[in-house]
Amino acid sequence: MLKIKLSQTTPNPLQLSLECFTGELHALVGPSGSGKTTALRTIAGLNHAHAGKIECNGELWFEASEISGITTLLNPAQRSCGFLFQQYALFPHLSALENVCIPLYNSVSDFGERKVQAEQWLNRMGIGELSHRMPHQLSGGQQQRVALARALARSPKILLLDEPFSAVDAPTRQGLYKTLAELRKDLNIPILLVTHDLREADLLADRITVIDQGVGLQTAKPQILFERPRNSRVAELVGINNKFSGVFIAGNLTWDGCSTVFEVLDKGKIPPNTPVAWVIPADGISLHAAPSSSSIEAYVEQISTLGQIAVIQLLLNNATHKLIWEASAAEVKRLELEVGKNTHVEIDGSKIHIMPLRPINDPRRLTS
Amino acid sequence: MDMDAILLSLKLAFWTLVLILPFGVWVAHRLQRVGKSKSWIEAGLALPLVLPPTVLGYYLLVGLGDKSLFGIPLVFSFTGILIASLIVNLPFAIQPIQRAFEAINPEIIEAAQVSGLSDWQIFRLIELPLAWRGISSAAVLTFAHTLGEFGVVLMVGGAIPGETKTVSIAIYDKVQSFDTSGAGYLSLILLATSLVAIAISYGVFGRQASRAKEWGA
Repeated sequence: MLKIKLSQTTPNPLQLSLECFTGELHALVGPSGSGKTTALRTIAGLNHAHAGKIECNGELWFEASEISGITTLLNPAQRSCGFLFQQYALFPHLSALENVCIPLYNSVSDFGERKVQAEQWLNRMGIGELSHRMPHQLSGGQQQRVALARALARSPKILLLDEPFSAVDAPTRQGLYKTLAELRKDLNIPILLVTHDLREADLLADRITVIDQGVGLQTAKPQILFERPRNSRVAELVGINNKFSGVFIAGNLTWDGCSTVFEVLDKGKIPPNTPVAWVIPADGISLHAAPSSSSIEAYVEQISTLGQIAVIQLLLNNATHKLIWEASAAEVKRLELEVGKNTHVEIDGSKIHIMPLRPINDPRRLTS
Repeated sequence: MDMDAILLSLKLAFWTLVLILPFGVWVAHRLQRVGKSKSWIEAGLALPLVLPPTVLGYYLLVGLGDKSLFGIPLVFSFTGILIASLIVNLPFAIQPIQRAFEAINPEIIEAAQVSGLSDWQIFRLIELPLAWRGISSAAVLTFAHTLGEFGVVLMVGGAIPGETKTVSIAIYDKVQSFDTSGAGYLSLILLATSLVAIAISYGVFGRQASRAKEWGA
């Protein structure tokens, strides 16, 4: 298991704690410049944090504090990390096979044995027949497979993947996803994936940590993260469309800009009269042709049809709020939805998730 | 034909190359990790490019003379002109190698670090082969420049046949004594030797970076 706790203010701020379990694929997701690659490089020993601790399978790799400075520091070669770079970073003067031989240089003294093991890794990546090609003779996807073979050849204790799929085209990416999914079953080591692509993280990861401006905001399973983001910023970063603001008073949520009040569930963490952000997942929204006592009238502003899926944009409460709803083309037909016409929206209060605009312990919350 | 002068020039170029190349590689590699003082060190190493040979020659004459830094007078000897040649060639040996090291993508070095290689192994297996073009350029420049070096060698070594009288000094002597055909022969030999050295270097080292084969692939 990998356990990290990192803290620094310069040159890039970083406040991050996470645990990645053996066999787990953990994604570190955030926008560009959020510090996710810095965190990954720090784990590999390519950067040093001012304070913190990095521990892998009980072995201490790094420990430092603001007061006593660095007390434990293993260099990258001692850390046993497999690191996959975004731009592959293959050794350009060496063939694919020689690239994979390099991590075996110190552990396997026999040249022939080194070659055999490297060939096995390339075969496992499905590029055994390309072993004598130079990096410039390989496509992006093939280079990434060589880089993956090189990262794993040393039998590392953890695998760190830095935006590994961003430089390849979509079909190649699908193939690499499959390879990674197959590999992780056999490897049984912590795998940390850095990506800015939420869909990718959702598809591949067991858990996701959202990072912004160097601060780890939330760690959760993908489904939980999308349904119950910890705060407004997380909701924004995970791309939740239907996010609104309101005020929470003793079990009731007043929707800003209208008189609608929802009865919502809360764990008692949010103090009364707190301005909150709230989100509603897709299954908490239903549309009806006829009005009811709890429905809200909505104006159909736009319908975008993508194959069998339609994305409907609705204006509610005298065009104060915009709601996005996804439905099948058949559903659109059944409800007789048309641009310019009105319909009726029902929001299930029990599915509403409320969150503070800023983290509870953030002093800025009181001033905003 | 002045065979002694030709052999002496080749001997001087050979020893200059043998001594300066490892030093050039070491300095160029170290310069990558030098902080604030880097530009001062670079300026010092580039000084022989801009200093008049007479100025450099004067300081060397003083430094290698009766009160030599090495304890014994080295002027007007082969060792003296070798030291002069080493100093004059510093920028020609270091700069191409330094540029070659700087051109290596830092991520490649990081990939080698996370692959478990030590600093020495990274230098030997990754950096040196990738910097090979720069090293061969430095070798050619140093060799050709040593063959043609005139001012500093004349100041430090004079023109003692078989000891300090190199081809370029012999050419000068022949022109002074109106032996134009002898000067022409020697000039032609110098021209051909320099051309062949550059052509061989570009042909052998220039096309492909050297590949260390010791990991058995």
